[in-house]
Amino acid sequence: MKIGAFEELVLLAVGALGEEAYGVAVKELLKEKTGKSPSIGALHSALYRLEDKGCLESFEGGATNERGGRRKKYYNITSEGKEAIREANKLRMEFSKHIEGLNLGLDEV
Amino acid sequence: MRSRRNAGPPRWANFILNVFCKERVLETLQGDLFELYSLRRKRGSRLSADFGFIFDVISALRPFALKNFFWSNNSNTMSMYKNYLKVSWRNLLRYRTYSIIKIGGLSIGVAACILISLFVIDELGHDKHYPDVDQLYRLVNVWDQPGEVEKWESCQPMIASMMKSEFPEIEKAGRLIPYSGWSFAGNNQVRRSDRVQNTYEEGFAYMDQELLEMLGVEMIYGDRSTALAEPNSMVISRAKAEKYFPGQNPVGKTFILDELEDRPWTIGGVMENPEQNQHLQFDFLLTLTSEEFWKGEQTNMCCSNYVTYFKIDKRAEIEALEKKLANRYVSSYVPYLKRRGDVEADEVGKYWAFFLQPVRDIYLHSGKISDDFQHSDIKKVWMFGSIAVFILLLACINFINLSTAKSANRAKEVGLRKVVGSFKSDLIKQFLTESTFIAFFAVIFGVLLAWVFVPLFNTLSGKVLVMPFGSWWLFPSSILLILLIGLMSGIYPSFYLSAFRPIEVLKGNLSRGAKTSQLRGAMVVFQFTCSVILIVGSLVVYRQMSYILTKDLGFKKEQVVLIEGANTLEDRLQLFQDKLLGISSVIDVSASNYLPISGTKRDQNTFFKEGRSELDKGVGAQIWRVDDGYINTMGMELLQGRDFEEGTLRDSSSLIINETMARELGLEDPIGARIENWEPWTVIGVVKDFHFESMKGEIGGLGFALGRFGSIVPVKIQAKDTKATLQTITSIWDELMPNQPIRYSFMDQVFEDMYGDVQRTGNVFFVFAVFAIIVACLGLYGLSSFMVEQRTKEISIRKVLGASSKLIFRLLTSDFLKLIAISLLFAIPMSYMLMEKWLEDFEYRIPLGALVFVSAGLIIIVIALFTISFESIKASVLNPAKGLRSE
Repeated sequence: MKIGAFEELVLLAVGALGEEAYGVAVKELLKEKTGKSPSIGALHSALYRLEDKGCLESFEGGATNERGGRRKKYYNITSEGKEAIREANKLRMEFSKHIEGLNLGLDEV
Repeated sequence: MRSRRNAGPPRWANFILNVFCKERVLETLQGDLFELYSLRRKRGSRLSADFGFIFDVISALRPFALKNFFWSNNSNTMSMYKNYLKVSWRNLLRYRTYSIIKIGGLSIGVAACILISLFVIDELGHDKHYPDVDQLYRLVNVWDQPGEVEKWESCQPMIASMMKSEFPEIEKAGRLIPYSGWSFAGNNQVRRSDRVQNTYEEGFAYMDQELLEMLGVEMIYGDRSTALAEPNSMVISRAKAEKYFPGQNPVGKTFILDELEDRPWTIGGVMENPEQNQHLQFDFLLTLTSEEFWKGEQTNMCCSNYVTYFKIDKRAEIEALEKKLANRYVSSYVPYLKRRGDVEADEVGKYWAFFLQPVRDIYLHSGKISDDFQHSDIKKVWMFGSIAVFILLLACINFINLSTAKSANRAKEVGLRKVVGSFKSDLIKQFLTESTFIAFFAVIFGVLLAWVFVPLFNTLSGKVLVMPFGSWWLFPSSILLILLIGLMSGIYPSFYLSAFRPIEVLKGNLSRGAKTSQLRGAMVVFQFTCSVILIVGSLVVYRQMSYILTKDLGFKKEQVVLIEGANTLEDRLQLFQDKLLGISSVIDVSASNYLPISGTKRDQNTFFKEGRSELDKGVGAQIWRVDDGYINTMGMELLQGRDFEEGTLRDSSSLIINETMARELGLEDPIGARIENWEPWTVIGVVKDFHFESMKGEIGGLGFALGRFGSIVPVKIQAKDTKATLQTITSIWDELMPNQPIRYSFMDQVFEDMYGDVQRTGNVFFVFAVFAIIVACLGLYGLSSFMVEQRTKEISIRKVLGASSKLIFRLLTSDFLKLIAISLLFAIPMSYMLMEKWLEDFEYRIPLGALVFVSAGLIIIVIALFTISFESIKASVLNPAKGLRSE
């Protein structure tokens, strides 16, 4: 399973949001954590891609007034999604190990 | 600031989202956008929220969200269109004959349309390429007397500069002398001053430096603003530069014209070859700078030989300027005429007017202005354009007729489609799709057909057209044409076919295409009416042409060889003539610049009876300088008096006039009558009227005076062994003029070329008559084979009951022949009116007799009968058992 850096970020955010992961919430979270707000188009595009890859599953519900009565699309991380995160992390660790003087602070955990 | 009624996001942005987004994505995406919008409203200004929303919409327009407009797998409409195309294709293959007729007819129509469009585009494109073309005008003189309006283009030499200096509206003014035979204008023997060999060249004209600039002539060598500034300078075209000075810059080099070595012409510049679509077609431009053709010529108002062009200020009011120019002109011309004692001076003041003709109109809108330029006529363009439209229409009619006739084959399909829920509108869409599909093939074949026929069409029409395969507009206009034809030919059948009622159709109650047979009949009549008109048109044009070529012209053009460029013989001309007369097969020899064919010299004069020049109105007549052999060589008939006697001085002021001149001068006993123009003449003979201008005009007055040293030597030779005679003539010439190759033409050939445009009009008519007939016959064939198909059983039963093959044949053809007869009834009066109108242009013309119409009628009946007989004969000799067995 290959996922891109931005996709990984989106995947992580969806996972962190748990039950409340839908477009606007993911966007807000990413903005809060990274300081940069992704464009909604890019975000939706990534969400659809991840769903196609099987990393996410979705269901619709929760129409509100602000949304003009339109439903939300909620996302859930699948086991494949979790696997993808693990893989990405492993790869990162692989590389990081070889960088001298890079203290990731993970040993303390 | 304008406020929207709802406080929501910008509607247009939302609309874009609605239009372009997939349904699957739209709801949740739009919901997110709305939510973000309301968040932004809470946090900031409305404006920033609006911009944010717009930005979001734009960012959302990416592949995952976009609808697929062209091929959507789950779109019902798309799959229906796919199905329509599939059914169309199957039908196309299933009824091959009819498909070929439909597509073939339409392709011919399209090809005709394309060819004529190219022709029309070319005609309309003349003289459009000069810089500031909207400001360029040609000055045209108008004699505006009620009932006697005349227009002509030549002006006096000083008009250009006079008007320019007095009217600030005129920015530039330039003059041109295009008239062949005027000094060096026309054709000359040419050689480089450092060579001895002469070459004959055509396309000489005199031009002002300023006109060269006005026309923005593109220069290859030399400077446009100085190329003709020096006296005796000239500008030559690129083709001529490459011919005489290959690979070098010829500026500063000199030419000798007609062996006049004391007056060399210096090349001031080389211009690009003249565009094929401009009225000025010259290869050698000679400057008018300090040119004076005789002493005092430039300031004398006597003679009008200059075509005058103006560049006029954009803001100027042309009509007002025309009036001002006329007033100014009259104020100096009338006093001049009065000084000369001209009795017409007052009339000139009253009737003189000017017309500023836009240069871009010269080619198509010159009407009766008889200048020396090549012209076409806007009427002709319209005529050809409408022919194209009609042929396309004829082809569409084939489609309509066959589709409605064959409707029975589609009726079940229509019924079934309706039963499973198709609306009428869907069926209309289906049949329009089908006709467009067929139009698609037709246009492709049509373009190919036109491409194949372009060279033939060029030969026939005398044009240089090319298929615009490289042009950007070819593709879009083809698409447009496909849609247009699809609509034109499909609209009626689609409504007709889609109106079937499913119950009747599926029960098999449909009267098989009989309902529309009247309408089909009307369409066949229309097709054949058009065909007959075109046949009559081409017959009339060809007959007029042959009338022109065989008419008694008053001179005999056969067996006359014209040896050109003989002026360089100078005083050896007599010697040359004597030597020619020594050849046994030469009947007579003459020499003159004046011949009864176009492109030779003319000299218009005004004559009076002696001593009455201040009392009578003058009679316009030409005066031609000829020698004593002229009348005999040309085979003209001397009605009264005698021919010139050369060698004596007594005929130096003798004149032989033609009948018209004698009549117009009112000379009851012309022999010995004394008349004058600016010198006195005695009439010694009257020659029978002969045609010396186009047949489009009346024969005018003309007088022969004795004159030597013509540049053309006409030689009348015997009919037998022309080749040997020509060889002998050539060897005599070569002996006298070793540096100038002999150049001759045959007078009858030159004469025929004069009427090239008539010939070409006939050719174009003929081509399109053939096209129309083919299209109409294709349709007729289709209909007749359909009829036969329908009536197979009837025919078989009739035969079983004892009908003969002849009877069956008559039965099958009579209906169609009736239609042809009706179309003849329409076509004959219509073509009569049209061709009468065309013939009006000719002063000498054929009468429109019954013969043309009878032969056109016979032609069409024979062709139609031939077309129908294919299927009819097959049906009438059919074994009835075969026809009946099918059930």
